[in-house]
Amino acid sequence: MRGRMLRLTMAVLTAALAVSLAVSLAACGDDGDGGGTSGEPIKIGAIVSLTGPYAGLGEPEKNTLEMEVKRINDAGGVGGRPIEVIIEDDATDDAKAVAAASKLIEQDEVVAIIGATGTGATMAVRGDVQRAGIPQVSMAGGTIIANPVDPLVFQTPWSNTIVVPFTLDFITSQGITKIGLISDTGGFGADGQAVITGAAPEAGIDIASEQTFNPGDTDMTTQLTKIKNSDAEAIVMWTAGSEAAIIAKNVKDLGIDLPLFGSHGIARREFIDGAGDAAEGVRFAAGKVLIPEAYGEDTEAFTVATDFIDRYTEAFGDAPSTFAGHAYDALYLIVEAAKRIDGDITSEALRDEIEATSGFVGIGGTFTFSAEDHNGMTVNDLIMYEISGGDWTQAQ
Amino acid sequence: MTPGPVDWPGGRAALRRRRRPWRNDQTTRRPGDGRGRGTHELDELLQFLIAGLKNGSIYALVALGFTIVFAATGAINFAQGEFFMLGGMLGVFFTELGLPLAVAALAAIAATAAIGAVFELLAVRPIADGDPLRIIMVTIGGAVVLRQLALHLFGPDERALAAFTQGSSLKLLGAAIERQTVWIWALTALAVVALALLYRRTTFGRAMRATSIRRDAARLVGVNASAMVTASFALAAALGAVGGLVVAPLTQTAFGVGAGMGVKGFAAAILGGLGNPVAAVGGGLILGLLESLTAGYVNPSYKDGVAVVVMLVVLFVRPQGLFGGSGRVKV
Repeated sequence: MRGRMLRLTMAVLTAALAVSLAVSLAACGDDGDGGGTSGEPIKIGAIVSLTGPYAGLGEPEKNTLEMEVKRINDAGGVGGRPIEVIIEDDATDDAKAVAAASKLIEQDEVVAIIGATGTGATMAVRGDVQRAGIPQVSMAGGTIIANPVDPLVFQTPWSNTIVVPFTLDFITSQGITKIGLISDTGGFGADGQAVITGAAPEAGIDIASEQTFNPGDTDMTTQLTKIKNSDAEAIVMWTAGSEAAIIAKNVKDLGIDLPLFGSHGIARREFIDGAGDAAEGVRFAAGKVLIPEAYGEDTEAFTVATDFIDRYTEAFGDAPSTFAGHAYDALYLIVEAAKRIDGDITSEALRDEIEATSGFVGIGGTFTFSAEDHNGMTVNDLIMYEISGGDWTQAQ
Repeated sequence: MTPGPVDWPGGRAALRRRRRPWRNDQTTRRPGDGRGRGTHELDELLQFLIAGLKNGSIYALVALGFTIVFAATGAINFAQGEFFMLGGMLGVFFTELGLPLAVAALAAIAATAAIGAVFELLAVRPIADGDPLRIIMVTIGGAVVLRQLALHLFGPDERALAAFTQGSSLKLLGAAIERQTVWIWALTALAVVALALLYRRTTFGRAMRATSIRRDAARLVGVNASAMVTASFALAAALGAVGGLVVAPLTQTAFGVGAGMGVKGFAAAILGGLGNPVAAVGGGLILGLLESLTAGYVNPSYKDGVAVVVMLVVLFVRPQGLFGGSGRVKV
């Protein structure tokens, strides 16, 4: 009985091995040629969070990358060569992001990496990126990504160093001088907490209560009770995951009658859906893509943004979040740089050309990189939103 | 205070000085004032206790599932957290089909119970053949399969479920209780009472208990022991589903919530004592309170560590659990 069982197990294992081998061989044979292009594809790796707390961010990023790669290849690719973006899921897990990065670098031999979705994962893959010497364009908002500048690493979202002073200025303009701060202990939240505590004295704001929670926590009433019992006149929550909706609900359920400010990490539909009524009145600063009219209707930024919004909405049924925009910007920063290169598209040449980007009009704003600035955005790219009637409106 | 940048020539600092006296006047209106610091701290403690009992009740529901399967098989069912996830996700799925919330909730519980039974019949029974160690391994595999299935069927996004009763929170002294929390407490209490009645008063329950005490003897007196194991999986799945459903309006739900909840529920079951429903509930409530008080008075970052530390300490010092018997092992 035992022997038969063992033989059966071995047979199953062998079969599984054979299947996985066949699949990986088949994948190797697929060159992914696009229409209207020929020659070796330019391989770009992408590390996004398709599962875990950041799944709601990573999904639109993946959608955007796939949609735009098709568009670029249909239009002739880069100098006749197609683009191939190889997407890996890091499951919002730094360790899996590292595994994905080494796979992309060692096996796929990509010339650049887009990613990751989260700040923690972005920082985690830097070791591999440094060893390979390839450019990395992150879609995460943590300050540490581009400050201090790493020659190889670029960043498409507005970093906390831009968003935090803008948000704090808005808060003081409302006559508020004491805030309760709640942030997650993950990369983005911890970074935001550091930037806020650093910038608060300059903005004339006291932090009456400073609270943290772990990514994935489902109940923040304990922390919010402590903020409620402090002198805080407003609550600032700095987190990008699904926990933001829980905080908004907890605030409402605890009957805390204080204005709630979020980070640019909540600029997505799932926050409004998840928090329901509790999302009403929540304010946050982000780029203008949620209300492209804010650019001014005769600007190039407006044309670029509305064109992208229309195509994305047609393809996926929903308007894109700001995170879709970060993926768009990351991809086109690389592709436009590749187009400017004469001769071989090497990682070194690509890095130099990305750094030379000047006045690129993307979805998140207008990018101008330099050796000292790998974020490339300014406070002019931001507006303050207020959630009202289940939708984004421009805060007054 | 650090000096401001050059383009803000002390303007903000000056503004702040001007604002201060005005703000001080405002603070006299603060609701906490005039009641004394003591009341303030009592309110805070009360709110922490409410949060602890709320989360603890959910842990208790998951822990109950662990004890039921353990009683019937002598094994830990590591897919218990996934039943919790399925309850919430199926509840959202059925409401999105247009069913009223109550119907959708009952349908989700029934469907999860059916999945639990099918899982036992198709995976646990043929592969594990009653061996507890093999049952454990099958349930670990089953958990992965259920999670991935949910990911493919429902997508990666978090989903929201409407509150069972709309309206603002209830007030208890200086603390607030969400209406959904009352539902959590009520349903947990109901589940415990129903389970106790089932075990003590019905032939079916007595047969389940007989199987857990001595399988062969139960068989001799005509109990269908295999059917009892299937029933235990269905019952555990149903209880997990209740937990997943009732908490979804507060926390949202997603395909991946089961793993973390499985750990918490397991820790609660170990803490209370495996194989005893009342002990499991006690373990869940104590774990919830410990977590909440740690978050409130020590550091929220250590909250998740509490479950693991408690589990290890109990396993070392009192392996039968706080409320367990004298270490008698039921297999």
